[in-house]
Amino acid sequence: MMRCALRDSVKDVLEKMFFVETLGESYTAAAASADQITAQLTFEGQPPGSLTMRVTSAAARQIAADFLGVDEQEVSELRVAEVVCELANMICGSVLSRMESATAFHLSTPEIVAAPESPATSPYSTVYGVELANGRLGVNVTTGIPV
Amino acid sequence: MAYRVLIVDDSPAMRTFVRRVIDMSGFELSDCFEASNGVEALDLLRTEWVDAILTDINMPGMDGQEFLRSLSEDELLRSIPVIVISTDSTSHRMASMASLGARGYVTKPFLPETLRGELERTLGVPCE
Repeated sequence: MMRCALRDSVKDVLEKMFFVETLGESYTAAAASADQITAQLTFEGQPPGSLTMRVTSAAARQIAADFLGVDEQEVSELRVAEVVCELANMICGSVLSRMESATAFHLSTPEIVAAPESPATSPYSTVYGVELANGRLGVNVTTGIPV
Repeated sequence: MAYRVLIVDDSPAMRTFVRRVIDMSGFELSDCFEASNGVEALDLLRTEWVDAILTDINMPGMDGQEFLRSLSEDELLRSIPVIVISTDSTSHRMASMASLGARGYVTKPFLPETLRGELERTLGVPCE
């Protein structure tokens, strides 16, 4: 259920709000590297949890440019970070809205974080990645309880 | 007729995007104001009249719920139609915002025509 919600949310948000076409699922291990930006936020509700999104730098810049309607060269690092945070926020909200929860969720403000050395190993983690024209995007949703 | 709209969102990128989407949709804007939370929006509304407000829910300082509550307690401002733009599409959230006075609700992700349609419906713009 969570994987389907995550897959549909990533595709829906990227296509409708960021005008980005996905080129298929990514099966490459999402290893931490300097060439990517990581955004993270937590959510309270039933279930509580967190979402971590990694996107390669080139793809992040392209996504930011498309979202803001400007050329890539015009997008500052700050604006790229803002857009990546907004993307993580939208994917998280979309995923949670697809879950049949009886309670409202409260999302924290997304932040750019240093990439963790290894992906979360919780048994309640769901990982989904997509290939983009110039990079990759991966999302990890971890909940405190099974969903 | 062109309209004056206020966009309230803590994300500068999202404010830019909403403004861009309104332009893309063909909806006629004469002025577009921006605020990063409810406090800033209320400050702005002391000096500027707008035809509609588009607001996020989760914002630091004063969030969308508190902002709607403040608007509803103001005799002058309560008549301004408010459309909520949020990632939260759960029915209880929509009902909660409607009970606070929101006249429209757009769920992210959305298409430009969806936002335009909600603006026109809320403002009572006749169909072309």
